[in-house]
Amino acid sequence: MAQIPNLDNSPINLKSLREQSQKELVNILKNIRGKKCLVIDPKLSGSLSLIIQSTILRENGADLQHLSAEPVDTDCTKVVYLVRSEFSLMRFICSHIHKDTSQGLQREYYVYFVPRREVVCEKVLEEENVHNLVTVGEYPLYVVPLDEDVLSFELDLANKECLVDGNTGSLWHIAKAIHKLESSFGVIPNVRAKGKASVRVADILNHMQAEEPVTTSDMIMPEINTLILIDREVNDLSSVASWLNDKLFKEIRDLNFEVVVQVLRQKATSMKQDYTEMTTTNQTVSELKDFVKKLNSLPEMTRHINLAQHLSTFTSKHSFLSRLDMEQTLVEAQSYDICFDYIEELIHKQEPLVSVLRLLILFSITNSGLPKKNFDHLRRELLHSYGFEHIAMLTNLEKAGLLKKQESKSNWPTIKRALQLVVEDTDTANPTDIAYVFSGYAPLSIRLVQHAVRSGWRPMEEILKLLPGPHSEMKRGGFSSSPSISTLNGASAAVDRVADGRRSLVLVVFIGGVTFAEISALRFLSAQEAMAYDLIIGTTKIVNGNTLTETYMEKLS
Amino acid sequence: MEVRLYDFSPKTAKKIRVGFVRKEIRNPFSLGATNYLDKIIVIDPDRHDVLLKNEEEKHDQIVILTRNSIKTSVINKSKTLISPNSPSPMANVSVAAEWQLLRNRYYRKPELYPMRWKHIDLSRNKVACAPFGGPIAIIRDDSKIVQLYAESALRKLRIFNSAGILLSETVWKHPGGRLIGMSWTEDQTLICIVQDGTIYRYNVHGECLEPNFSMGKDCFEQNVVDCVFWGNGVVCLTEAGKLFCVPDFKEIRPCKLAEIGIGDEELPHCMAVIEPQYTVSGNVEVLLGVGSGIVIVDEDEVRFVDEEKVGGVVQKIAVSRNGRFLACFMHDGRLVVMNMEFRDFFKYQCESALPPEQMAWCGLDSVLLYWDDVLLMVGPSEDSVSYIYDEPVILIPECDGVRILSNTSMEFVQRVPDSTVSIFKIGSTSPASLLFDALDHFDRRSAKADENLRLIRASLPEAVEACVDAAGHEFDVSRQRTLLRAASYGQAFCSNFQRDRIQEMCKTLRVLNAVRDPEIGIPLSIEQYKLLSAPVLIGRLINAHQHLLALRITEYLGMNQEVVVMHWACAKITASLAIPDAALLEILLDKLKLCKGISYAAVAAHADRSGRRKLAAMLVDHEPRSSKQVPLLLSISEEDTALMKATESGDTDLVYLVLFHIWQKRPALEFFGTIQARPLARDLFIVYARCYKHEFLKDFFLSTGQLQEVAFLLWKESWELGKNPMTSKGSPLHGPRIKLIEKAHNLFSETKEHTFESKAAEEHAKLLRIQHELEVTTKQPIFVDSSISDTIKTCIVLGNHRAAMKVKTEFKVSEKRWYWLKVSALATIRDWDALEKFSKEKRPPIGFRPFVEVCIDVNEKGEALKYIPKLADPREKAEAYARIGMAKEAADAASQAKDGELLGRLKLSFAQNTAASSIFDTLRDRLSFQGQLAEMGIGGHRTGFRAQKRDFAVYLAFRAA
Repeated sequence: MAQIPNLDNSPINLKSLREQSQKELVNILKNIRGKKCLVIDPKLSGSLSLIIQSTILRENGADLQHLSAEPVDTDCTKVVYLVRSEFSLMRFICSHIHKDTSQGLQREYYVYFVPRREVVCEKVLEEENVHNLVTVGEYPLYVVPLDEDVLSFELDLANKECLVDGNTGSLWHIAKAIHKLESSFGVIPNVRAKGKASVRVADILNHMQAEEPVTTSDMIMPEINTLILIDREVNDLSSVASWLNDKLFKEIRDLNFEVVVQVLRQKATSMKQDYTEMTTTNQTVSELKDFVKKLNSLPEMTRHINLAQHLSTFTSKHSFLSRLDMEQTLVEAQSYDICFDYIEELIHKQEPLVSVLRLLILFSITNSGLPKKNFDHLRRELLHSYGFEHIAMLTNLEKAGLLKKQESKSNWPTIKRALQLVVEDTDTANPTDIAYVFSGYAPLSIRLVQHAVRSGWRPMEEILKLLPGPHSEMKRGGFSSSPSISTLNGASAAVDRVADGRRSLVLVVFIGGVTFAEISALRFLSAQEAMAYDLIIGTTKIVNGNTLTETYMEKLS
Repeated sequence: MEVRLYDFSPKTAKKIRVGFVRKEIRNPFSLGATNYLDKIIVIDPDRHDVLLKNEEEKHDQIVILTRNSIKTSVINKSKTLISPNSPSPMANVSVAAEWQLLRNRYYRKPELYPMRWKHIDLSRNKVACAPFGGPIAIIRDDSKIVQLYAESALRKLRIFNSAGILLSETVWKHPGGRLIGMSWTEDQTLICIVQDGTIYRYNVHGECLEPNFSMGKDCFEQNVVDCVFWGNGVVCLTEAGKLFCVPDFKEIRPCKLAEIGIGDEELPHCMAVIEPQYTVSGNVEVLLGVGSGIVIVDEDEVRFVDEEKVGGVVQKIAVSRNGRFLACFMHDGRLVVMNMEFRDFFKYQCESALPPEQMAWCGLDSVLLYWDDVLLMVGPSEDSVSYIYDEPVILIPECDGVRILSNTSMEFVQRVPDSTVSIFKIGSTSPASLLFDALDHFDRRSAKADENLRLIRASLPEAVEACVDAAGHEFDVSRQRTLLRAASYGQAFCSNFQRDRIQEMCKTLRVLNAVRDPEIGIPLSIEQYKLLSAPVLIGRLINAHQHLLALRITEYLGMNQEVVVMHWACAKITASLAIPDAALLEILLDKLKLCKGISYAAVAAHADRSGRRKLAAMLVDHEPRSSKQVPLLLSISEEDTALMKATESGDTDLVYLVLFHIWQKRPALEFFGTIQARPLARDLFIVYARCYKHEFLKDFFLSTGQLQEVAFLLWKESWELGKNPMTSKGSPLHGPRIKLIEKAHNLFSETKEHTFESKAAEEHAKLLRIQHELEVTTKQPIFVDSSISDTIKTCIVLGNHRAAMKVKTEFKVSEKRWYWLKVSALATIRDWDALEKFSKEKRPPIGFRPFVEVCIDVNEKGEALKYIPKLADPREKAEAYARIGMAKEAADAASQAKDGELLGRLKLSFAQNTAASSIFDTLRDRLSFQGQLAEMGIGGHRTGFRAQKRDFAVYLAFRAA
């Protein structure tokens, strides 16, 4: 059983948001009288466990089951499906119903779509002739608070769907989620977006405001001052690179401060302290895992531990070290041949495909694509080593621009220099730059956030043009006309502080996912004394190099 | 006796016209205390006050006659003179003079309107008056024989407002026999029921609403003879004595009530209903005066109440508004008021034993009975007042009184509200009355004003409240104003009165006065208005097309204007057939923009229904909510615009909606053309079709020339074939698979951009053939669908080196890969000899590292040691030694490499390795050596940094191990 994250110290009232979602779900169950079998989309159960305790669901007469191809095994005459709008799930439901009818079982079926019903799914039900047997509803769960400063929109496939399939439904969903937040916390007056998807989300958000204006009285100050939208595409590098050591450390650190004490958060800003932290707790990863299990902690957290364990077996491998070295070399983008040979060898050795792909993507990004000869060669070697069914994956990656033919000179070195992504001099005693936390590499996304918060896009137009996708910046709402607020939006950090001493809020949304490393970096930023803002992070999903790469790994077979 | 009445209207003030009462007034002064009159004076109705005051001084008692009744008011002067100090109530006399006292309660009957209509004789017509000051429908009564003057023989249904202004008229041409019942429903639809049971419905504009309904076959055959309506329902009685009911006109579903079992020769004397809301069953109950008792009928049963209990033959029944009392007129001229258990409260013996034409409850404590020329009001305890009418009247029951419609006027009989009584009652010394009087003094600059206020200081708030309340009940605007001024005057002296009370009342009165204007003609009392509620009133106004007033009222009351503007827009469209689209659009937009968030789509939908598709398209363009806009665009066949709008909104669900719509509507090729031009729609279509419409998707790609996509689909199909158990491994059914892949290969090769895919498909087909052959020759179904590398490894593992070699050459596998594959395959089967032999075949193209790695990976230190010395790079050598735990050799190699970072790492790794305790001494040496190196400055900042990073990783690795 999962533990619901503690949101007491959140800079905005996420608790009420969550309570709203709880109430909506309970109401759905209450409106279906009597005992019922609640069949949950397995991918939703994680999100749900962050919202509501399963005991509450049971108290409302719901038997819980996971949705799968297997028929629902229950005595209940009422079956309630809680699913995302996905074709494969519709097929399961249809097959269940067909099976029941063929056995002469008479049941009432309810399908609740999360977060909303979609024509295309109902079309499937219609084509399978079960539409008349089903009562369709929706459960508008658009936002799930993962932590007091992290919100997830739970869109695992957003990245791939957008970039490969051209299905931009997730962008609408993100805009809707933000719009929903705005209806609780006021219209966000400043919006800055970088990347194609982000600019589109900002667009849709504006569209929504025009369609159904958030009606807050003009007197109320919006709680969130600035919205920064950043595409994963702009910065695939930091998500694909492993930064293994840091991430591992970060996860354990995050565990510590969540499970043990909140205070560690401030303490943990220097790496040195964390090393000691590590040694004093003196637990192996598996011990930690047991510990966490005992605490009935989040599945999210168990996942972290799993990941950590996975990583630690990985680190024990000899190749890990050279790999780490290689990532560094790739980011520095100075020795093309070494990298090429290394990756080729990994393919020859048939190392796990995901890790090979991650390096390959990194290689392609830092070089703005590969020369045609190398590109074709590596792809051929991949197909030969792993099978021809992976041709679909190669196409996906190419469509997404993650693995491509070189068309122009790489601008990576320019970007790297302009944004000081690789910081060589770090003052260990008094760290001030995020690069320190990240072994000398500052994630591009975080640098962008830093700039966007500090001064907006205008001073850095040139650099932004180097990065993929357009950018936009706008002021919204009737607020900009009011003089008191326009000073608040001014460039100076000092005036950004709200009168009562609280810092004003920035919502940073990563479209396509955010890594734990980035979250930690943003927390580090937020913890800086000179920082005038509290940061809240919104994301389609928490990702790491593997999960992100895996979404592209579609096979033909 | 002859009474002369003098009409003294302001315009003819000097000329006195003499008229005669056309009928003898029965016992005209029986109500008065005296039997003689000093004189008769004629009073200008507008100058009551002045004249009465003059007369007051001369006479003790005054009897006032008005044109159609004797408003008997007896002034008891002596009472007012009891206290010489008390303020003079003279100013109020005129008000109270018009009241009638019924035991201890006062009633008044102000005129609401003189009727504006001309030549209407109610007696010739059937009349339906809607409650709450609603419209009046009039149609010539075809059951009466009337003389036609200069009028058409065709009957006209005319609808007036309560002031007698014609709203609409229409010719009545319906078949089905005589019109039996006519009444207004709650939403002001006029229901007309004719003999054969057909129900016709009209709106206030005289438009017949389609369709007509029938009360059913029985009614059709038996003829309807009587109808009783209530709120939204009706009960019909047929000639055969059967009852049929429509419980709700919103959903006309006639049903039959239980059979009473009476013959057609003895139809009920009278009929009344208890509304469903007051019955236990929740269904309507019908009370029938049958024979010498009462019968109560509902859907399921019939109850008889016998004569003994009722006390006589009932000729007329009226049910009180709250459904709790019955007023029954008996055969002997008695009026009996009883409760639902038939226990009587009071009886009143009327002069006439003929049943009254009309009988109605006035509020809850008196009953009005109307005979030809007399209106009798009977209150509890056998008191009564009679009014004389020399023209026919219609009684219209309201929640707080009864409206009386005659040919010439609309009056309202009402119990005088308590607050009004307390102020205007003759001789009243209530605080409210004194306050009202104080204002009069104040206006006349009399010091008595202050005196009055002092007298009532303690009860000032209640006095103010009474003035406010009384103002609310007044129909006369100037009196409303005076009362409110009195309230406001009093409020100034009292600290704890709710200040917005007066303001609220002013607001309410403004609304009431506005709708009471004869042009609007809705004479609502404040009680009726509260019961009706403002939104319903607005609904009625807009139904009557009084949009401007409705808009003003909503604005004034701070209500949502959307409903008004929306209705206006729709009505405007309906009424503007002659206005061209563009001009009408301008007119509409001008008003629609008043209302933020109004649904343009709804107006557009109306335009579409009115046959103005183009206007609809223009309107829907202004709808900001795409979720409303897009479906409407589809319904008016603007698919392309719909697709554009859906795409703009970013809502993929809407795009799908349009997509499926177009898909269904257009031929495939046209559909393909449409979506090909719209990337989002195209991509979404592909996503859906990929899952559900494979063949159709293929058609799409072919028609749009995307051959490579077709190729991918074919290639994918080849795998699906492979999954089919019929084509399981080793079976000759691989043929079709290969064919599909070859087809894909050909399609890929059509375009230059896909040479890579083309080549891959070709190789794949070739691989499948080879794998198939291998499975046949080895009789092992383990080859198909593995990769080229795996196939090579499998061959080697099986010892079939020739086959492996063949695959290698067939697919031009590079030497590098070949070495990795063979080395790893040999290690898997632990064929160390073969491995060694292989290492010596020739100088390996990638050195001996693969050999070392595979040996270490399977923990064969001895084997690994064969190759480690052959490693070229000392660093690799050092690491290899370290991995098999040979610390000394590792250190040697490391020092040979002169790599400080490496050394540091090795040191750390052995420090964590407890098994290697024996090498600790060596490690100490290394430590000092390391120290020296550090002093020598080997490893700059940068490498130091990396080392740090690695240290941590290694540390973790060993901890986890």
